[in-house]
Amino acid sequence: MLETSSENPVPVRVISQSIGEYLAKLGPVWIEGELSEVTVRPGAPMVFMRLRDVSADMSLSIMCHRSVLDAVQPLAQNARVVMHSKVSWYSKNGSLSLNVKEIRQVGVGELLARLEHLKSVLAAEGLFDTDRKQSLPFLPKAIGLICGRNSDAEKDVVENAKRRWPAVRFEIREVAVQGAAAVVEVSTALKELDANPDVEVIIITRGGGSFEDLLPFSDEGLVRLVAGAKTPIVSAIGHEKDAPLLDLVADWRASTPTDAGKKVVPDMAEELQKITNLQQRAFRTIASLLTFEKSRITGLRDRPVLQDPFTLISSRREVISGLLDRSFRSTSARLLLGREEISNLNYQVRALSPQATLDRGYAVVQKSDGQILRNPKNVISGEVIKIRLAEGELAALAE
Amino acid sequence: MVEKKISYESARDELVEVVSQLESGGATLEESLKLWERGEVLAKICQEWLDGAQAKLDAARPSQSEPSDA
Repeated sequence: MLETSSENPVPVRVISQSIGEYLAKLGPVWIEGELSEVTVRPGAPMVFMRLRDVSADMSLSIMCHRSVLDAVQPLAQNARVVMHSKVSWYSKNGSLSLNVKEIRQVGVGELLARLEHLKSVLAAEGLFDTDRKQSLPFLPKAIGLICGRNSDAEKDVVENAKRRWPAVRFEIREVAVQGAAAVVEVSTALKELDANPDVEVIIITRGGGSFEDLLPFSDEGLVRLVAGAKTPIVSAIGHEKDAPLLDLVADWRASTPTDAGKKVVPDMAEELQKITNLQQRAFRTIASLLTFEKSRITGLRDRPVLQDPFTLISSRREVISGLLDRSFRSTSARLLLGREEISNLNYQVRALSPQATLDRGYAVVQKSDGQILRNPKNVISGEVIKIRLAEGELAALAE
Repeated sequence: MVEKKISYESARDELVEVVSQLESGGATLEESLKLWERGEVLAKICQEWLDGAQAKLDAARPSQSEPSDA
């Protein structure tokens, strides 16, 4: 440790030298990154370039002898490389760069193997489990869209969503969707949109591309970020066959940007049609119920007892008159019968009564006790007797 | 006589009851008259319910033809 103070500061050269020594402690290292800004000046022995971190927004300046670079040509743009390097401290102007002794290109096979490994690790952690998947909102207030700058993918998503729901609102973030910057920019946009309460679903999309092009969408950092996001995420990366890890961790995988555009919004016309159908069905049910009830009530009202109350009275009147009629007939019949009886009785009385005999001049003699005298011996002289004549009776003394 | 608001169903069911009693003829004349009057009141109530419902339906009918857009 250098002892310094404001009273006895140390000169630049001392500091610079100690920095150089300190840096040298790092020793030779194998470093991985994405090569960019390769500048080769004709005839110059040394070549300068930049190595960018694949996940973070960091890079280091690199220098190497021309032969080291030539040994690994042809190098693709933004090639993924592994370098054996040592820190070199240029004390003259205090700049640092890595002096590279060997460059190896990271092959697709290697990248693929690493990706598979990462996939199994994340899967083991359960990041891809279906029960983690959130369902997409039916009618999102706003849709977050992370896509390449004025890319077809962006157009496909927006047009398809608008066709289904003209009032849809997008929060579009155009970012790099390729190379080292992609992971950083997509992640930043994702964090910002995830925090925005209005954004209720986020689509991450880009068009087709090579395996390397899509590699950022399998970046561990990005995948973990998506796994932790509150807002549901839709992944629409590349073509149908492409399956970056983002597809596995997203809440819904769209095969294409168009598919994503359709998925996140309902088809308004279709929804409205459904509502109208329901309205009509409800209307028809009520209408038929009403018709049925109306017929029942009219049926009841038409019943004679209600429709024509006089039947109540007339039917009773009939009963009464029927009764009257019968009583009339029976009484008159009885009268008739009585009259006949009387005349018979008269006849009989007349037949039995002595009147006729008396009329012919006979008389009936009775004792005072009413007993009829048939023998003169039955009466004593001076006894009062009654004599009934045709037209009356008289009393007499027996001698 | 202020008819308290009875439901359509109870008015209809009572009407059915009144009609069957009248038709069975078992009631006295005085009862029959009272039943008949009750029947008329009930029928009016049912009719009012149905007319009201019909009016609501007819009112709803115009909006049926052109669905309101969102």
